[in-house]
Amino acid sequence: MRAVHGWAAGIVLGLATVGLVQQGVAQQDSTKGDTVPSLESRVDELDQQVRVLQRLRELAADSAAAAAKDKVTATASAKDGFSIKSADGKFAVRLKGLVQTDGRFFLSDSAVPVTNTFFLRRARPILEATVGKYLEFRLQPDFGQGTTVLFDAYTDVKIAPAFAVRVGKFKPPVDLERYQSASDIVFAERALATNLAPNRDVGLQLSGDISSGVFTWQAGVYNGVPDLGNGDGDVSDAKDFAGRVFFQPFKLGTLAGLGIGVAGTAGLERGTTAAPGLASYRTPGQQTWFRYTSSTTTPVNNAFANGQRARLAPQAYFYTGPLGLHGEYIQSWQAVTKTTTTVKLKHTAWQTTGSIFLTGEKNSFKSAAPKKPFDPKAGTFGALELAARYSVLSIDDATFPTFANPASTPRRAKAWAIGLNWYLAKAIKVVADYEHTTFTGGTATGDRAAENFVVTRVQYSF
Amino acid sequence: MLTTMRTRLAVTGSIALLALAGGRGVAAAQGAPKPVTLLNVSYDPTRELYEDFNRQFATYWKGKTGQDVTIKQSHGGSSKQARSIIDGLQADVATLGLGYDIDALADNGLVAMDWQKRLPHNSSPYTSTVIFLVRKGNPKKIKDWPDLIRPGVSVISANPKTSGGARWNYLAAWGYALRQPGGNEAKAKDFITKLYKNVPVLDAGARSSTTTFVERGIGDVLIAWENEALLAVKELGPDKVEVVVPSVSILAEPPVAVVDKVAKKRGTTAVAQAYLDYLYSDQGQEIIAKHYYRPTNPTVAAKYASQFPKVQLFTLADIVGDWRKTQKTHFADGGVFDQIYLPAR
Repeated sequence: MRAVHGWAAGIVLGLATVGLVQQGVAQQDSTKGDTVPSLESRVDELDQQVRVLQRLRELAADSAAAAAKDKVTATASAKDGFSIKSADGKFAVRLKGLVQTDGRFFLSDSAVPVTNTFFLRRARPILEATVGKYLEFRLQPDFGQGTTVLFDAYTDVKIAPAFAVRVGKFKPPVDLERYQSASDIVFAERALATNLAPNRDVGLQLSGDISSGVFTWQAGVYNGVPDLGNGDGDVSDAKDFAGRVFFQPFKLGTLAGLGIGVAGTAGLERGTTAAPGLASYRTPGQQTWFRYTSSTTTPVNNAFANGQRARLAPQAYFYTGPLGLHGEYIQSWQAVTKTTTTVKLKHTAWQTTGSIFLTGEKNSFKSAAPKKPFDPKAGTFGALELAARYSVLSIDDATFPTFANPASTPRRAKAWAIGLNWYLAKAIKVVADYEHTTFTGGTATGDRAAENFVVTRVQYSF
Repeated sequence: MLTTMRTRLAVTGSIALLALAGGRGVAAAQGAPKPVTLLNVSYDPTRELYEDFNRQFATYWKGKTGQDVTIKQSHGGSSKQARSIIDGLQADVATLGLGYDIDALADNGLVAMDWQKRLPHNSSPYTSTVIFLVRKGNPKKIKDWPDLIRPGVSVISANPKTSGGARWNYLAAWGYALRQPGGNEAKAKDFITKLYKNVPVLDAGARSSTTTFVERGIGDVLIAWENEALLAVKELGPDKVEVVVPSVSILAEPPVAVVDKVAKKRGTTAVAQAYLDYLYSDQGQEIIAKHYYRPTNPTVAAKYASQFPKVQLFTLADIVGDWRKTQKTHFADGGVFDQIYLPAR
C-alpha cells in the first residue's frame, strides 16, 4: 500500500513536471498559451493532489502500525511448541507435547522373567495458557503405557517473581530428580531414590524466586500421597505439608552452576486394610520389587498406613561446562499397622548421577540444545552425552517379617547405570541405557536375581 | 480426634500461608494514603486541557487528602476510545466527545445508565461548537456553510464513524441545511453529500484532521472544534490561518463520567468522582476557558466571553433528537453517512 502511494505520488509529480514543460514549450511556440495565474492554479492543484496522496499514505501507515499492535501472533518453536499470543503477550495459548517410545529388554532374566517389549512410555499433549498479567494454566495428561493419567492440572497466580500461588495437581516440592521434566532426565528412568518421593499431588502451594534464582522456595499443603504416589483425592482427612528451599549462591563464575537445597514433608496418613495408603517400589526397569504385605483372600491381615508420614531430602547439583552432577539423599518415614502392631518405618535412598557432553555442549538441569543439530548433508550430527549413575534404596529392617515377606521381598536394591544420549536436535533425543540392579534378600534362600535392564528410547518433545 | 486436630492444623496452616501473602497489604494500609493512579480516556483535542487540569487537580487532591494522585491520559477518536474501554482499557473516567459514546459504555455495563444525571449540565462541564479554519487571507472566500460545497473547495474533516468531533461537524452541516427556508431531510442529505465530496482525506480523529490541514497544508478549510481552531490561531498566528464563524452552528456538549465498573474494581471511585467534580469548580472552569472550551459556570463564562465568537447555536434535539436516534439514523452501518460517502479511490 505504501509503495503504491509512493508510486502514485511520483507519477503525479512526474505528470506535473511534464505538464509544465509541455505547457512552457507550447507557450513559447504560440502566443495563445495559458496565462501565468492559470499555471499557478494548476501547480497549486497538483501540489494539493500530491499532499493528499502523501497524507493518505501516512494515514495508511498509521493504521497499519495500529493494526500491528493488536495483531495476534502464531509461532512454532522447539522451546514453546505451537503458540498463539496476543500482541501485548498477556494472552497466550501454547500446545506442547512429549512422546517417548522405548525398546525395553531384560538380559539374563530366566530367574525372574520379564517380557522384552517395545513400549510407549509417555505420550503427553501439554496445553498451557496465559490469561492476563498474572494467571497461567497447565494441563498435562499422559496416554502412555496404555492408560490415561492426569499428571498436571493447575493454575498459577504469579503476583511477582518472589511470590506466586499454585492450585491444582502438580509435583510436590521434594525430589530433585522428580523436579526435572520427564523430557530432561539424563537416563530413561529415574533413579531408585525417586521411589521415596511423591509423584503428583493435589493442593495449594506458595512459591518464590528471589534474585533471579539465587534463592527459590516452595511451601504448600497437599492431600498427601504415598511414596511414588500420583493421587487425585485423599483417603483420609489428614493433610501433608511440604516445603523446599534451594540456593544457587554463585550466579557468576566457575561455581555458577552450583545449587544446594533441602526439602521435606510432614503429615498423617490413615489408610485401611482395604485402601492401605502404602507405597510399593520399582526397579529402574519398572518392575515392582518391594511391597507391603497384602492379600485379597485375607485382607484383614493387610498392612496399612496409620500415622505420621515424613520425608527429608537434602539435594544438590553442579554444572560446569559440559559436565553435570546431581545427587540427593532421601529418608521416608511412615507409621504402618498390621493387625495390632504399629511401627514407624524409615526407608532410606540416595543417588548420584554424572554426565558429560562429548561434543562440548553446556550441561544444565534442562536438556541441552546441540551446537550442531543433525544434518548429514552439512556434516553435523548433533550432541552426544555420556552418563553414569549409582543409586541405593534400603528398606527399614523393622519392616520384616511383620509388614513384608522376606521370602519374596528384598530389603535393599542397588543399581549402577551407564547411558548414552544422542541429541539430534533440541526436540529429538535418542537414549541407550544399561542399568544393573542387585538386591539383598527377596527369596527364601538368598538374594533376588539381579535385573539387567537395557532401554533404548526415541524421544520427541516440543 | 487426633485426625480432626490435624485437619485443623492443615486448615490453619493454609490460612497462615495466605495471611503471609496478604500481610504486606495490611501493613501498608495502616500508613499514609497509598498513592493512586487514574486513567482518563478522552477524545482527540483535549490533550493540553487535561495536561493542565491534571496538574491542578493533583495539587488540590494532595492538599485535601494527603494522597498523591497521578493521572494518565489516553486520547483518540471519541468512538474509538469508547470501543477501547469496552474492550478492556482500564479507564477510571471517560471524558468523551459526545453522549452516545458514554451511552455505549452504559450499554456494556461499565457506566450507570443514569450517568447523565449525576453531574450538572447533563454531565457536560464545558461546551463547544463547530467553526471553520481557513488559510491566511481566506483565498477561497469561505464565509458560511454553502461555500463548503462549491466545486474546487477542499474541505478537511475527520471521519464521523470514529471521531466525536467529526459527528458534530456533520450534524452542524446537516442542521444548517435542515434549518434553511424550505429545508428538509432530502435537501440536508443532498447538502452533506456535496460537502463530503469535497473532503479528500478522512482522518480518524479531530486532532489528526487538524494536522492534515495545518501541518500537511492540505485543504482550503478545516471544519473544527471551536477550541481546536482558536488554539491553532494562537499557536500558528493570524498570519497563517484565520477563523471563519458560520452563520449558525451546533452546541456541542462533550460529557464526562466515572467508569463505575473499573473504578470500583480498582478502588478509585472516590478520587475519580472528585476529579470530575473539580471540572465544575471555579479553578476547573478557569482552566477550561483558558483552553478555549466554553465554561458552563456563568461567572467564568462571562469573564471569558470576549474570546469566543458570537454564533447562533442549535442543539442536537433541535435537528435530530437524542444521540441514540442520531447514531442509528446517521452513523450506524448503513446509515446516512454510509449512503453518501464514497472514499476517494
